[in-house]
Amino acid sequence: MSGFSAGGSQLDTSWFLLLAAVLFILGTIGVLVRRNPLVILICIELMLNAANLTLVAFSRQLQNYEGQLFALMSMTVAAAEAVVGLAILVDIFRHRDAEDIDDLSELKG
Amino acid sequence: MVALSVLFLLLSAQFVFVAQVIVYAGAVMVLFLFVIALMGPAKEIGRSRLRFQTSLSALFVLALFGLLWAMLQGVQYRQPEQTDLNAFGTVQWIGVYLFTNYLYPFELTSILLLVAAIGAIYLSRKEGDER
Repeated sequence: MSGFSAGGSQLDTSWFLLLAAVLFILGTIGVLVRRNPLVILICIELMLNAANLTLVAFSRQLQNYEGQLFALMSMTVAAAEAVVGLAILVDIFRHRDAEDIDDLSELKG
Repeated sequence: MVALSVLFLLLSAQFVFVAQVIVYAGAVMVLFLFVIALMGPAKEIGRSRLRFQTSLSALFVLALFGLLWAMLQGVQYRQPEQTDLNAFGTVQWIGVYLFTNYLYPFELTSILLLVAAIGAIYLSRKEGDER
């Protein structure tokens, strides 16, 4: 690892934050524009990953352990969310042929 | 996802790096692949129920990115508390904090994973399987 001088670390952290912002924006575009529920789930994962990157970048900047631990927690939450969302999707696809997220607008199955 | 994990390694977060590789590249993406293989290749239809959805979402995304950019301009970085850089982000260090200061959220996430596994099994069982 390189030395931890003040100027370089500031530059690094701001670049990481910018990358996280771009990733989050990409996820938002995917959720807003795409129509396939599977793709929307993947884009939500992308947004969660962007938030994780921000947490770890600030953890590095402040030399603080809480950011990394919180990133681990949010990673487990993201895995649980993916599993349950995919199970719901498989159940929906089994009952009806829904390629469009707007076909699933009623609550009553 | 793998590229993001390399970035974690660059930020000297070794344990988060390994967890990212295993959880995302290993588990979540394989799960997505299985579901895609189960459902067949999805075809995207251009029809959208809201007429101006694409342009509206472009506007919203531009506004959001401008907001984030403005926030990034105003960030003032605090000087770090000088801890030992050699121990920073190692597995030992994460483990110590995970099992002392953060034992309660750790147990809570384990319960959450158990609930998610049971819920996924319940949701994806076959019809008429319940006894």
